[in-house]
Amino acid sequence: MTEEKDAGADIVSRIYEVGYHIASTVKEEDVEKVVSALRGEIEKGGGSFIAEGSPSLMKLAFPMIVREGEKKIVHDRAYFGWIKFEAPTEAAEALEASLKRNTNIVRAIVFRTVREDTRAKYKAPTLREVKRTDTIKSSPRRAPEATEKAPVSEAELDKALEHLTTE
Amino acid sequence: MNNILTQNDIQHVDYKDVDLLKQFVNPHGRVMGRKRTGLTAKQQRAVEAAVKRARFMGLLPYIQK
Repeated sequence: MTEEKDAGADIVSRIYEVGYHIASTVKEEDVEKVVSALRGEIEKGGGSFIAEGSPSLMKLAFPMIVREGEKKIVHDRAYFGWIKFEAPTEAAEALEASLKRNTNIVRAIVFRTVREDTRAKYKAPTLREVKRTDTIKSSPRRAPEATEKAPVSEAELDKALEHLTTE
Repeated sequence: MNNILTQNDIQHVDYKDVDLLKQFVNPHGRVMGRKRTGLTAKQQRAVEAAVKRARFMGLLPYIQK
């Protein structure tokens, strides 16, 4: 973990990552507004951005229940996005509090991380890779008979039969 | 040590890498033990933390039938 102390002041700057789920009830064109409000919150606390993953609609592994007053709202899909940033500890705490207040955000997580890219370039092994476009060719077990014989004339047939019967 | 993380030279375990994390949970959604994963103690702790974050964020299920 990196900790950078500003000379003179006692401000400790750390690397954080925020992951968030924006409710699917928010219109697709308004998702960017919610994210920019989030970015504004980070910048307000003196944070700087390192990396970002834009929100995309995904199906949740389990339905999330959010209480709004008396009502219970069940979310089974949401726009998931994340931002990695460097900020003082107070800014991270303020961000977490503001995320909880934000009704457009179903769930969010803020945690300390490292500056380096943490995404693994890993591909899960599959039993066999057959593309949809692949065609499976079957090879014939026996080669088809190559030559087609010329039609046999009546006279030739009689001659051959006679030859067989005389033997 | 012969495990998935060492073989693929993975230094950090991210909670967003669901495909990777699925290698360390059983069909019921529980985290496998170190005997099964073959991870070092440090790696196992990192995987556990990542799985818990992924579950909280609805990327992995808590339980699976």
